[in-house]
Amino acid sequence: MSENVLAPLAGKIIKVNIEKGTKIEEDDEIFIIEAMKMETPVFAPCDGIIKDVKSRKGDEVEEDDLLAIIE
Amino acid sequence: MRPYFEKMDAFGVKLKKGEIKRTEGNIKKILQAEKEIKIAVEKVKNTGFSTEKINARGQMTVWQRLSYLLDADDTWCPLHTLYNPADNEEGTTNVIDGIGKISGKWAVVIGFDNKVMAGAWLPGQSENILRVTDLAKRLNIPLVWLVNCSGAKLPDQEKFYANRRGAGTPFFRHAELEQMGIPVLAGIYGTNPAGGGYQSISPTILFAHKNCNIAVGGAGIVSGMAPQGGFDVEMAEHLVEKAKEHKAKPPGSVKIHYDETGFFRYVYEKEEQVLDGLKDYMKDIPSYNPKFFRVTKPCKPAYPEDDIMRLLPLEPKKIYSFDQILSRLVDAGEHSEFRKDYGPEMYTGLCKIDGFLVACIGNRQGYLGKGYPEYADYPGFGGKLYRQGLIKMNEFVTLCNRDRIPIIWFQDTSGIDVGDIAEKAELLGLGQSLIYSIQQTDIPMMLVVLRKGSAAAHYILGGPTANRHNAFTLGTAATEIYVMHGETAAVASYARRLVKEKQAGNDLQGVVDKMNDLADKYHEKSRPLFCAKTGLVDELVSLKDIRKYILAFAGSAYQNPKSICPQHQMILPRIIKG
Repeated sequence: MSENVLAPLAGKIIKVNIEKGTKIEEDDEIFIIEAMKMETPVFAPCDGIIKDVKSRKGDEVEEDDLLAIIE
Repeated sequence: MRPYFEKMDAFGVKLKKGEIKRTEGNIKKILQAEKEIKIAVEKVKNTGFSTEKINARGQMTVWQRLSYLLDADDTWCPLHTLYNPADNEEGTTNVIDGIGKISGKWAVVIGFDNKVMAGAWLPGQSENILRVTDLAKRLNIPLVWLVNCSGAKLPDQEKFYANRRGAGTPFFRHAELEQMGIPVLAGIYGTNPAGGGYQSISPTILFAHKNCNIAVGGAGIVSGMAPQGGFDVEMAEHLVEKAKEHKAKPPGSVKIHYDETGFFRYVYEKEEQVLDGLKDYMKDIPSYNPKFFRVTKPCKPAYPEDDIMRLLPLEPKKIYSFDQILSRLVDAGEHSEFRKDYGPEMYTGLCKIDGFLVACIGNRQGYLGKGYPEYADYPGFGGKLYRQGLIKMNEFVTLCNRDRIPIIWFQDTSGIDVGDIAEKAELLGLGQSLIYSIQQTDIPMMLVVLRKGSAAAHYILGGPTANRHNAFTLGTAATEIYVMHGETAAVASYARRLVKEKQAGNDLQGVVDKMNDLADKYHEKSRPLFCAKTGLVDELVSLKDIRKYILAFAGSAYQNPKSICPQHQMILPRIIKG
């Protein structure tokens, strides 16, 4: 069972707190997206292990882009 | 109307484990910032002579008088503690004020700090007193003075004696309050010549300590002489004799103003008895029993107020949930939200504080979702104001006035949306419309600048600059107030200069240095301590004390309101219900 982490808004990834294999708990801050001069954190939707990270620091993302997969 | 208010909609949720874990750092930062504010406050409290020295003279300090006068239920909400707009070397305007309960009734209380130059007039003091008389006027509650004023600090008189908002203005403002039916009670101590004399005579009822005196001019003036082009030793010897005589017998003592004129209604042997006299009169001050206006029983918030230290990020770029913060401030974590599907950048809703109905308006933060604002092709973010939010606030404020519901504003705003698309959406006109809507109300308001107060949005979101109804404005350790961010201001100021230098083939470093200097200046002059010193806020409060001030505001606003809307005739709760 895996869960996709999607970008909640368009913006620039300015922080990535995970890598493949990172063990995370629900509500951990795993990305920060900057848009309109504000930082929007992206939280882990569930406990698990990061199966894949699709975005890197500095990437421009669109709303609903896939950022990571949690297993 | 019990069904509308007894059980309103629950809002806010308990903090999650991950949220608690990741906000530990924010708590530390907030506590550190609040510690710096406390240090500044202690410095003001300890300025001038020591308590021991004043007590050795047989006098209480203003702080001891306040402590004795106020009810022992910890309702005292100090205001203007760090206000010192003229940057006096004494570190104070030399008056101490706030809202508190005396004999169970709310009052605005103000006293001269007799530890500093025997309570002299200092630069900035009249502006401080203006804020206090305005507060009593807006809340329609008594003003209680602890007078102990040696008159003007003469070497600085040019800074405050005259002028439209100068040191004499409290006297007509006292008259104005009295003409509006708002009593001004005064306990009088010590020597009060000239300005101190008018400060003493202008209130409604005078409670005198036996050793006090009030006079048009004090010993220093009475023993003076007509100007003779200078001084010599012979004249100085003459002055010594005259001054001795008048010091022993200053003008305007109890013998004159109790026995002869009868200006003093009461005279007391002990200092505490003066305060007992004030307390006794406060018992009879007109006020409604709170049950007259309460819509339900008072109740604590549903979640801990300490959560706010986790919920409000000190870092201004971080987003947060305003609704979560508000749920920690209002009774039972309950509300009725007005037009929740419209203007998502603004919260507007009815809440309860100590069982009283209040209206709350605040900036929401973060991304506002696809397709908003509806008039633009760019995304909307909370903190900014858009068309729908402005229209919603105009409606809400107007309806609050109709129903006589006091308003509590919460600001964390970067401004109103800008650009031709925003202009076409009428935001300039809608902002001024909100000022018009607020101005045509006659209800008390207060403001908490949670974090940013910026651009015209600081004015129109209940800011003290743009209306007469703002009773007081609070700041926090996270507050910053400026026309725009310092770096934005640097770009606005120097962008064209950069273009010119570049076209001329010059090095840009000089301009870049100036831009950095301007940004640094903005930062320094927007910090919480600067905001408090210059009066951009009326007090800096710790996050855990915000509710205490809101309780004082609601209690004061409903103590003796000038106008009433019967609960069963209110329209706003019905509009919300639909």
